[in-house]
Formats: sequence, C-alpha cells, structure tokens
Amino acid sequence: MVAVLLLFGLLGLALGAALLVARAGRPLHGAPFVTETALTPDEEDPSRVAKRAAQATASLERVKPRGAYLVVDSYRNRLRLVENGVPKHEAVCSTGTGTILRDPRNGREWIFDTPIGERVIERKVKNPVWAKPDWAFIEEGYLPPTNPEERFDPYSLGDYALYLGNGYIIHGTLFQTLLGRRVTHGCIRLGDADLELIYRNVRIGTRVYLY
Amino acid sequence: MSGSARASISISLLAAAAALAGETPPDPGRVATLRLEAGIAQTPAVYLVLDPPRQVLEIKSRGTVLDSIALVGIEVVTQQPLLAERRTRPVTVPAVWRIVGEPSDDHRELIAPVELRPMPKEEDEESDDGEAATPAPAGPTPTPTPVPEPEATYRAHLDGGWDLLICEQLPPRGLFDRFAAAVRDGWQRLRDEGRDEPPAIALAMAAEDARRLHHVLRSGTSILVAAGAP
Repeated sequence: MVAVLLLFGLLGLALGAALLVARAGRPLHGAPFVTETALTPDEEDPSRVAKRAAQATASLERVKPRGAYLVVDSYRNRLRLVENGVPKHEAVCSTGTGTILRDPRNGREWIFDTPIGERVIERKVKNPVWAKPDWAFIEEGYLPPTNPEERFDPYSLGDYALYLGNGYIIHGTLFQTLLGRRVTHGCIRLGDADLELIYRNVRIGTRVYLY
Repeated sequence: MSGSARASISISLLAAAAALAGETPPDPGRVATLRLEAGIAQTPAVYLVLDPPRQVLEIKSRGTVLDSIALVGIEVVTQQPLLAERRTRPVTVPAVWRIVGEPSDDHRELIAPVELRPMPKEEDEESDDGEAATPAPAGPTPTPTPVPEPEATYRAHLDGGWDLLICEQLPPRGLFDRFAAAVRDGWQRLRDEGRDEPPAIALAMAAEDARRLHHVLRSGTSILVAAGAP
C-alpha cells in the first residue's frame, strides 16, 4: 500500500515537473496555410482579365527557349537534351562538388559549385586545350606557375568542349567511372559518346538551364 | 525532365489559354500570378513557383518547368506556448518572396593547403631509363571522398521577416506529441539552449526532394506563390 502511494506520488511529481517545464517551452505550432487573394479592382475587372492573360502569356512565350536546349540537374547529375519541350536524350554527367578551396597565401576562396540559371553556349571547340586556372595548382598544393606555357593541358577536357562563360565548360573526362557523382570544380563532365552527341546536336547560342 | 515535371505544364498558361479559347473565364488570381511570372521570367535566374492548391513546388527558368517537387503539406509554423491562443493571419497571394539568407552550407568541405610548393620541373618526373614519363592527367582530379549531403530539414530566410522551413514532417498536431515537444523545448530553454525562430512557411516533402531543393535555394532566388484555383 505504501509502495503504491509512493509510486503515485512520484508519478504526480514527475507530471508536475513536466508541466512546469512544458510551460517554459515554445514548441513549433503548425496552422493551416490559409491564403487570401489580394487583387486591385483593375485586376479583377472581368472585361480586362482575358486581355491581361493574353499579354502575360505572350510575354512568357517570348522568353521561353525554342528548338534545342540543354537542362542540367546538378543534384542528380543528369544532362538532358530537349527539343521544343520534348526530352530527346538524357546523359549521366558529373557536376561541382560544392567544396571550398582556400589559398593559404591570401585567404582567397573558390567555391566549386556548378552555377544555376540560364547560360548559353558561347563556343564549341574540338580537341580543346585547358588553360589551367590558379585553383587547379593550389588544390594540388603547388604555386601557380609564372610561365603561361605551364598551364596548358591538352588531355583533361576530352575530345570536345562547349564553353558556357566564366570558365564553366561542358567537356569530357579522364575519370569515366566518376560520372554521376559531384566531383568537378563546377564544370559539367560527360562520357565520350554523350559528349559527341551533345556537341553535334547543339549550336552556339543554344541555351543551357542549370539547377 | 521527370514525368511529373513534364506533366506540370504551367497551369497559369493553361488557364490563360482556355480563357483565350473562350472555354472558361480566366481566374483573376491566376492571371495576376501569370503576370508576376512574366516579370520574373525576364531574367535568366532560376525561380520557384509554389502552387498551394496543387501542393507542388516547381523549379523554373524563363517560364519553362525544369523540375517539380510534390509537397506532402504546407503550413504556417510559429513558436507558441503550449496553451496559447492560436492566431495566424492569412498569407496574401499572389506574391513574390525572395530568399535573403540561404540555408546553411555547413556541410561544405573546405580544402585549405597549409603552404604551396613550386611545381616540380619536367626533368624531375622523367623515369630512370631516360624516357619521358607519360603525361599525367594534371587536370581536374577526382574527389576521393563522397560529397557530404545537406540536412533534409533546414530554414532559409525570406524577405518580409518570414522563414521558409523545409522539412520532412510538419510539426505534430496530437496533444501528447505537442506536450512532449513543449517539454523538450522547455528543458532546452531552462538550460539556456532554447532558440527563438521567426515564423515560417513550412513545406514538407520527401528527404531527397528537400536535399535537392537545398541545392537551388540561394540568396536572391524568387519564389512566386500562386493564387487562384487551378
């Protein structure tokens, strides 16, 4: 009997303590996402709504890509060739690691992200030569060379390169087994066959959507 | 493009097209949404379209759907005492929110060599028999370790003082779960470890979707919140 009373007493104390602690808490509380549409009287005018819709639709159609364009999903490491909204080819690619490199001399940092947003193919080059930027040496623990000749690398980019500006390139790879992984410094690497297909099917000026 | 992305052609466009064909009068809310999108799409940036009635978040650029994410739920989330009066104001739509503080990228790996040494000369690399060594792949080297993944639950700050809370599960609604959460939070506060967070729009989605969205949420990214019925 005493033991039961003691047990109930302890339980009561624990519950009381929990209530006191809970009163101090401010946990997350979820409420339904309720929206209210706020429109100006002009926007609600039925006689003008259809015209506004047509204008906005036309405006969007003007900026949409036409013909062939590329879409790069840098999370899943996939590159798609799309023509008039219809996917024509999908390739496994490699994209940026997202790592940060710091130069010990001055603290300058590079973030190896594949950019997001729209770009265009500015140049197409067969048998490209890579002019290695400073980070390529610093990452290996070397001082960037003062002689520009020491920067040229005719092997790493593969057979073709499609330049997207700001140093970002769609190119081949010496490391085919790493396709599908985030291993690059921001460029998009493709396997040999996919790279050739993309090179032959897109023109300079083709839009590339990266996300 | 995923199947869902292909299927999710801009509803705004569909509504507008149907209206133009004289089938149904266009929804003024949808038209206002479309007009806002037409403005955002003038820039080359990637933007998001949150469509609450369809429970979908689309990743778009130039009016083109690049991908879409199915939402498990949308809620307005605030920190409140357990027995406080619940009061939330409706969210005005259509609206354009902007990310002003992107989610934490603590998961990023830092490569920081301590010192740099001169490049070895070519003659140093020659083999013993005097022949020049095969050119080594001096280009982009593979990352030896897997890239760390971001968390599946995180916050991004929006302009206007709100947060965007990306999560796998919305806060529990059951009495016992809420009580347990209040005890946990209260205990942290008593130990000076509690944190006050801004009110948030919580978007619940699969963990994998949350991680790939983390990839896209960067400062300046616009989120268009659609109005009107699909």
